[in-house]
Amino acid sequence: MTNTKLSVAMTVAGVLAALGCSNDQFDIQNTNAPTAEAITGNPSKLTNARLAVGVAGGLLAEVGGELATWGAFGREEYNLLGNDPRTTTETIGGPLDPGGVGGGQWNGKYAAIRTVTIYLASIDKAADMTAAEKSASKGYAQTIKAVLLHRLALRNGSLGIPVDVDVGLDQAPAPFLTQANAYAKIVTLLDEARTNLAAGGSTFPFTMPPGYAGFDTPANFLKFNRGYYAKVQIHRATFAGGGAAAYQAAVGALAQSFIDPAGSLRAGVFYAYSSASGEPANPVTEPLSAVRFYIHHSIGTQAQLKADGQKDDRFTSKTATVATRTQNNLTETLKPVIYNTPVTFDPDLDADIPLLKNEELILLRAEARWFTGDKTGALGDLNVIRSRSGGLPVTALTDGSSDASFITELMYNRRYSLLYEQGTSWHDARRFGRKADLPEDRAGDKIFDFMPVPAGECDARGLVVPCTPPTS
Amino acid sequence: MGIHRRILGLAVAALLAAPGLVHAQSRQVSGTVVRSGSAAPIPEATIAVAGTTSAVRTDAQGKFTITAPQGDIRLSARAIGFTRKDALVPAAKTTVEFILDQDVFKLEEVVVSGQATTVERRNLTTAVGYVSGDELTKVASPTIEGALYGKLAGVNIQSNGGAPGGGVQLQIRGNNTILGSYDPLFVVDGVIYSNSRITNGRGTIDDEATGVEDDPANRLADLNPADIQSIEVLKGASAAAIYGSQAASGVVIVKTIRGLAGAPRVDVSQRVGTFDLLRDYKPNCFSTVADAVKAYGAKAQAYLANNPLACYDHYDQIWGKSRVSYETVADVNGGSETTKYFVSATWKKDNAIEPGTAFARQALRANLDQKIGEKINVSVSTVFNRSVHNRGWGGNCNNFACFGYAEAYIPSYVDLRKQADGSYINPGISAGSAPNSNPLQTAEFAKNEAETNRFTGGATVTWNVHTTAKSSIRAVATAGADIFNQNDALLSPNNLFYETIQSRPGTSIDNNGLSRLINWNGNLAHTLQASGMRFGTTVGIQYSDNRLKTTRITTDNLLPGQGNVDRGTNFVVGEFLNRSRNLAFYAQEDVNLLNDRLTISGGIRSERSSANGDITKYYTFPRASARYTFRDLLGAGSEFKLRAGYGELGNPPNFGNKFTTLGTPQYGGQIGLGNGGVAGDPTIKPERVKEIEGGFDLNLWNGRANLEVSGYRRKTTDLLLSRTPAPSTGFNSQIFNGGIISNRGLEVLVGLTPVQKRNFSWVSQTTFTLHRSRVDSLPVPAFRPPGSGFGGLGVLFIQGPTQDPKFPNDPKKRVYHSLTRIYGPRYKDGISGATEQGDLGDTEPKFRMGFTNGFTYKALNFSVTVDYQQGGTVTNLTQVLRDDGATAVDWNSDAWKKRWITNFGANGVVSDYIESATFIKLREVSINYGLPRKVAQSLGIGAKDIRIGVTGRDLLWSAKYTGLDPEVANFGAQAIRSNVDVTPYPPSRSVFFNIAVGF
Repeated sequence: MTNTKLSVAMTVAGVLAALGCSNDQFDIQNTNAPTAEAITGNPSKLTNARLAVGVAGGLLAEVGGELATWGAFGREEYNLLGNDPRTTTETIGGPLDPGGVGGGQWNGKYAAIRTVTIYLASIDKAADMTAAEKSASKGYAQTIKAVLLHRLALRNGSLGIPVDVDVGLDQAPAPFLTQANAYAKIVTLLDEARTNLAAGGSTFPFTMPPGYAGFDTPANFLKFNRGYYAKVQIHRATFAGGGAAAYQAAVGALAQSFIDPAGSLRAGVFYAYSSASGEPANPVTEPLSAVRFYIHHSIGTQAQLKADGQKDDRFTSKTATVATRTQNNLTETLKPVIYNTPVTFDPDLDADIPLLKNEELILLRAEARWFTGDKTGALGDLNVIRSRSGGLPVTALTDGSSDASFITELMYNRRYSLLYEQGTSWHDARRFGRKADLPEDRAGDKIFDFMPVPAGECDARGLVVPCTPPTS
Repeated sequence: MGIHRRILGLAVAALLAAPGLVHAQSRQVSGTVVRSGSAAPIPEATIAVAGTTSAVRTDAQGKFTITAPQGDIRLSARAIGFTRKDALVPAAKTTVEFILDQDVFKLEEVVVSGQATTVERRNLTTAVGYVSGDELTKVASPTIEGALYGKLAGVNIQSNGGAPGGGVQLQIRGNNTILGSYDPLFVVDGVIYSNSRITNGRGTIDDEATGVEDDPANRLADLNPADIQSIEVLKGASAAAIYGSQAASGVVIVKTIRGLAGAPRVDVSQRVGTFDLLRDYKPNCFSTVADAVKAYGAKAQAYLANNPLACYDHYDQIWGKSRVSYETVADVNGGSETTKYFVSATWKKDNAIEPGTAFARQALRANLDQKIGEKINVSVSTVFNRSVHNRGWGGNCNNFACFGYAEAYIPSYVDLRKQADGSYINPGISAGSAPNSNPLQTAEFAKNEAETNRFTGGATVTWNVHTTAKSSIRAVATAGADIFNQNDALLSPNNLFYETIQSRPGTSIDNNGLSRLINWNGNLAHTLQASGMRFGTTVGIQYSDNRLKTTRITTDNLLPGQGNVDRGTNFVVGEFLNRSRNLAFYAQEDVNLLNDRLTISGGIRSERSSANGDITKYYTFPRASARYTFRDLLGAGSEFKLRAGYGELGNPPNFGNKFTTLGTPQYGGQIGLGNGGVAGDPTIKPERVKEIEGGFDLNLWNGRANLEVSGYRRKTTDLLLSRTPAPSTGFNSQIFNGGIISNRGLEVLVGLTPVQKRNFSWVSQTTFTLHRSRVDSLPVPAFRPPGSGFGGLGVLFIQGPTQDPKFPNDPKKRVYHSLTRIYGPRYKDGISGATEQGDLGDTEPKFRMGFTNGFTYKALNFSVTVDYQQGGTVTNLTQVLRDDGATAVDWNSDAWKKRWITNFGANGVVSDYIESATFIKLREVSINYGLPRKVAQSLGIGAKDIRIGVTGRDLLWSAKYTGLDPEVANFGAQAIRSNVDVTPYPPSRSVFFNIAVGF
């Protein structure tokens, strides 16, 4: 009997030991979709290459929304469709609702940054990647993260933004940084990216997504990085108290960018779209018959004249006059054709939206040169754009002209050269203190200093909406 | 590892504690066991010597011989279906006869009290619902859930519609989860039985939300009621905790019929009957063309210029035909003392009221019990099922493919029937609002068929390791598998009117679900007897492995006349695999003291699961319960039992909750990987239900009256909830554990035998269920749970406690909200004027009662079950559709104008469509007659007895409800019942004639 008892006990013990200790049996993965745990836990060159695609795709987040909303804020364009009345009320006259229009242009970019975070966490762990490949990948990811953060900084203006958002959900949300500190972080990030790209060998370890033609090696991508660095420094100079030092840094960086006053003005990096099935398509293109987006009439009335008395080429080539539409006392008659097929003006779902083009770099250099003392160089750059992009005669400004008149002329050219691409007029009006320069169509319409912190962000931080989170 | 060691230690201690064999002088006692009245022998009765573990079973002639100690002894005899009898056998006596009475209220039935232990119901420490097989099969029911209506206290049964072959939810003691699994755990002969609802993608064809609105049958439909010996429902946590983390919504234990020793007995029964529409909507007839044009516009004018202004009864045209349904069951039951078998075969087909819809089931079961030597017993259960569901087209089909939805918009002057030339009229030409959909055309050409082939098999090995007069050790192991494949074939050919207007007409779907559940458990049970007391110790281990894989191919733009999924142009394919593994260790101690008056039971179960964030962590679920019985307190033979219990249960996280699933964005022709926005919670853990239960049972007049009262209060903590993290994290939602909901309720079961004469008896049983839920704390903003209804029409709304408006300045004054309240737009003053969002109703009934009365006169038996629900609300969206489609019978009346034009149309107020769900239903009626034995034998077919009968289900009902059925909830397959009535498959009544022949 004792033997029987013993054998039963042994059997039970054996079963317990065999089953209880095997964790592998219980480590059941979700095989229905890729999971962050599996991808970051055991990354490879191949999975990282796919994350690189996701990172590039994520950069497209909210581009259409920024273009339309920020464009309206800067009176570049209006949405007069009327199905959502807020496009002619809240968007133009405020107050911006943190739970409505005012809460937009936020979630998508942070979602995209999370992809960068996942990617960055995976790069170092990939055993089958060389040091150079890892460097190149990091430089690429950091540059894109910087672009996303910069766009968020533009959105929030003096409110500042959370930057160190690579924390887990078990921790408190990342604190808001002041605008100045946020810009400093973005600059640092771009510099880290530069170091990584410089050590990145001759090729990226993934197929470069579209939109980066000519920038598809670490060395070439570095030129984009430097160009964007200059842009951030120049914004920092005006927005965030960067001053002359920031301008000086921009001048230095521009020299290492793809700036080329003699080259194609459209050369650069793009948010690339495609009409192919499953691909992101241009978010704003529409036929001339559509009654949604209209270019602000001031673009027509304020266009400078060419020598022949015709209006600025940039006005002529970027707009078309159609039937007048009025919504809520806003009347417009110009349609944007920037993202339409030339001549026929059919909608073009393949039309790319410029992220950073040569034309913008030249204008950035004009600004940086002027405020670092190279006024002749600045005017030279301006005239390149006036002539090559607008068909205009050289500017009447001289070295002795006031900063104010230079800014007026600079803002004019930036408004026309970058029309309906990134909300340039709104950003410039704020950073040069020129909000009053923008046209007021209805009494009480407002040019905003920033978009409010979204309601969800306030809620998650336990703050009452609308909130101004403390900054550090 | 700590847990194993502890349990192992306990096991070894229990084993070593067993005393050695006691060799004492013994003697033989023999006798017979017969039933009272007829004096027929009772085989398989258990005879036991009180105070010892010695027990034997009677043979086919009811005879037994047992070894007993010298001296005076007490013998007890019990048998399934009879009340126990004790007899004092003096030292000098060697024979004894037991005459057993029928156990009307099944108090002597043995039910589970642990994985390897059982207890008589009268000795239970907790309330366990019990339904015997004959109660289930008395009246024909397509599936077993339907046969449970009105028979269990504390169990809420609700169907999703009248479609044949199930689609029924069992809810035990209320809502214990919001986003977690809400189904009870089903265990059939020790094998965990899948009750999955595998959705088939019907929504792709008829434009409803794919998922719950597909109206899939639940797989309990495969279980054959005719094979069932009993159903036990472990309602309370203190009982269900033996199943730990899978038992939060209760456990339903099904035992199938086992063979009895004796000459083979063959039973054949045949049922033939029909289903008929229970209630219909009368047509809105137009008396003038002008009226019709007023309702339907210029198209009506044009149509009626060429067609007569008739008035067709569409409900009669579509659902008015009844067809013959049948069920044949044959079984054979017999065996020797060592080998017993039960083999049964079923062939059943329910032809339902909608043309083309039916439910068929074929099943072959073989149960075998084999004794190996003196100490080992093996029980094997196997069953193969084939079920075919043709559930048709009912529900919320926004493209009017569904019959009821389309009918709500088809003018009464359109004849839906097939015309003389073989064509159908397209209602779309008859009125501005009429759909391009003719239900009878759809019925002829479309197909929605699910075929399931299923094998369920298991074996239990019991090894009596060690038996003495005072103690015993048993090793019990059970292993089993439940495997099925469900294949759905859906075809909506391109000639159907609603397909012709599609850009790619014709849709075909091939849907497959492959489910495999494997579980096993091993137990050691030690029993120690002493005078007046008994100690039972059980330790064990249980393992389960679940796997469900679904694949679906959908294609459209079909070639005319073709149905294969490769005959279209656009393909959508998908695959989903759901897996989980659980391992549990448990220990249980049952102490029986004071000559069976006091039982104290305690247990602990420790479990790990692959679904949890931490797969190495063991979650522990304790339980404890006790009862004390006062004997003869209220007269001789009476029993008054007090009982109380506490238990904890779990509900595992859903598959995938712990993972952060990446998105797969396409860019530049490459599939990338990116943040999907939904964050997993690597610390996710089971929801935990804690319940305290108390009650008393009263048993009077030797079992002729029986009262069972139970109250409970349960709290679910660590709910699975979805929260919105700060958007700057990049995530938009995350499932996490948080919040508390609580449930409380009262269950009463009253059994009475008002008359018990030799020739006439009257047995009555009443159940009462009352249940309330509330949200105690909710760490997320109020939200609508999935499948809660339609935003503007009143929906379920889960909200944490809010400030009491009567005491706006006292933060301690809180208003708690029910989980089942319906929330939406209403008038502030209730009648007219300004509107607000507020409570519109509550889907939880005030209470529910069931009344079953059986009358037996000689061989004639009459039984009737009435089901009554007081309160609760239904959102009658069918009426919304009929008002919109001008088919409401009171169209253009003042009442119609008020509810449709003013209240709903102008003000968006839906109160008129939120109706009371109070009803009373004649659930079951049966008349059975056993032909005299002489008549049966004189037929010359070898029949021993013949029973004939007529049964009816849902024959009559009464309710204030204006729709077809206040019980139907289209979106019922969800954690919280939303009671939305949106043109479901209409409910039906059934009448069957049956004849059963025993050989």
